[in-house]
Amino acid sequence: MEKLSMLFDDVALLWEKYASSYLTGMGRTLLLAVIATLAGCVIGFACGVVQTIPCSKNDFFLKRVLLGLVRGILRAYIEIFRGTPMILQAVFIYFGLPYFTNNAMQFRNLWAVSILVVSINTGAYMAESVRGGILSIDRGQTEGAKAIGMTHVQTMTSVILPQALRNILPQIGNNFIINVKDTSVMFIIGFTDFFSVHKAVVGATYRYFPSAAIEMAGYLTMTLVASLLLRWLEKRLEGSGNYELVQTDPLITTAGTYNYPGKGSPFDESSREHRETMEKEEEA
Amino acid sequence: MNQPILQVQHLSKSFGRREILRDIDFSVFPGDVISIIGASGSGKSTLLRCINLLETPTGGKITFHGQDQTLRGTSAAAYRAKVGMVFQSFNLFNNMTVLENCMVGQVKVLKRKRDVAREKALHFLEQVGMAPYVNARPQQISGGQKQRVAIARALAMEPEILLFDEPTSALDPEMVGEVLSVMRKLAREGMTMLVVTHEMAFARDVSNRVVFMNQGVIGEEAPPQELFTNPKHPETRDFLSRFMAG
Ligand SMILES: Nc1ncnc2c1ncn2[C@@H]1O[C@H](COP(=O)(O)OP(=O)(O)O)[C@@H](O)[C@H]1O
Ligand SMILES: [Mg+2]
Repeated sequence: MEKLSMLFDDVALLWEKYASSYLTGMGRTLLLAVIATLAGCVIGFACGVVQTIPCSKNDFFLKRVLLGLVRGILRAYIEIFRGTPMILQAVFIYFGLPYFTNNAMQFRNLWAVSILVVSINTGAYMAESVRGGILSIDRGQTEGAKAIGMTHVQTMTSVILPQALRNILPQIGNNFIINVKDTSVMFIIGFTDFFSVHKAVVGATYRYFPSAAIEMAGYLTMTLVASLLLRWLEKRLEGSGNYELVQTDPLITTAGTYNYPGKGSPFDESSREHRETMEKEEEA
Repeated sequence: MNQPILQVQHLSKSFGRREILRDIDFSVFPGDVISIIGASGSGKSTLLRCINLLETPTGGKITFHGQDQTLRGTSAAAYRAKVGMVFQSFNLFNNMTVLENCMVGQVKVLKRKRDVAREKALHFLEQVGMAPYVNARPQQISGGQKQRVAIARALAMEPEILLFDEPTSALDPEMVGEVLSVMRKLAREGMTMLVVTHEMAFARDVSNRVVFMNQGVIGEEAPPQELFTNPKHPETRDFLSRFMAG
């Protein structure tokens, strides 16, 4: 109990002094996660669509060769970026560029490298999710679209991807939450996010645990809010369960409904029948 | 003599080593209503799917107004926009309302303006009696209603031919009538139709020619009164007697 109140005091102290640093860190972490997740989705969707382009013997030789080549490259991209740690990818890309160009080229903007690394990492994961999402949609949907003359891209954008999107929304959410946490590895190239604030604060105050507690609470808040937003979005995409008839179906109205003016249905309070039954009940 | 819209010449199709269609030949003229009958597995669906290039034929030609559509580099999409298809399993777009289902092809493929597409869609939905349901989603309407929407969706593209692959086979018996009556109406209005069906009464009363498919080849092709009352080939006779018996 004593310890808890001590922690509380320490946290309050840190917060008073460094609140704006923590909040800025959170802002940068969130911004990086949002941008990289969105960009990763775009990459993932593009890869997913390209990987599912149908290729028949009737197509030109060049198209088939090109498609095969592109698919091979995508496969390699996905395997490499899913199969190596992001922290290493960051180092590899950040220091690789000046190494290969003899320092003629290097990343001057840490935002740019960080977004690049996290996006292509997310993209590699999303590509597989999107591919799975596309394959899970009934083949009849594609055939229905083809039969009215839609091209592969039109079929994808109008029919398949909107349905696949709903199915893979939970996985997009997953990736976002992972990105909120895992962007912390970008400290390796000097990107200052929420986690790097911890290191700065600890360096100045030596209060390791209280700062870590703030970090824990901060990350949890961000991911919980993200979870809630995603749930809400999922609900919204499900659409309404009801629809309204635009006009009454002539075949339905002729059966079983009263159409005589002044009569109404037996349950209608203005109808004669209803009045009569009420009167009878009152008499009884 | 008017020109055929569609000609199928020496069409063949194999899946792997199995030959499903062999040397199929026939022509479709404007206003034709051709019923395709035959036992299950005789290749009727494969034939229709080859005709609108959902399957790539292994051999032979499919010419549309004299143009071979099986040549490399011809656009299947542009051709399919002129040849409508109605599937046994409806294949309505699940992410769209009834109205959007009938508009999306017009807007994306024919590049019609949205309000023009909307008018057309409403017109054809009216024709199939589905106008009250424009805001419904496919999951919310019955099988018969889905198939009527699917027909309206195909009609909205104003195709030159409409292909039907057993349009009533997936329906509960009480819903077959509403779909058949829409098809009868289309036939009366002069729509060119190619209908794979097990509804012999429809084949007999509505079509002007009947094609009997037998193990991947055309067993017999004749006007309905001839084919049903006086079939030339023993296989046709067999099929009809088996079919009528059970
Ligand atoms: N995609 C496919 N791959 C392999 N075999 C197929 C494929 N589609 C159809 N077949 C075979 O082709 C034959 C004819 O099928 P189908 O055209 O559907 O017949 P029908 O419509 O007359 O019942 C069947 O034996 C079926 O198993
Ligand atoms: Mg079939």
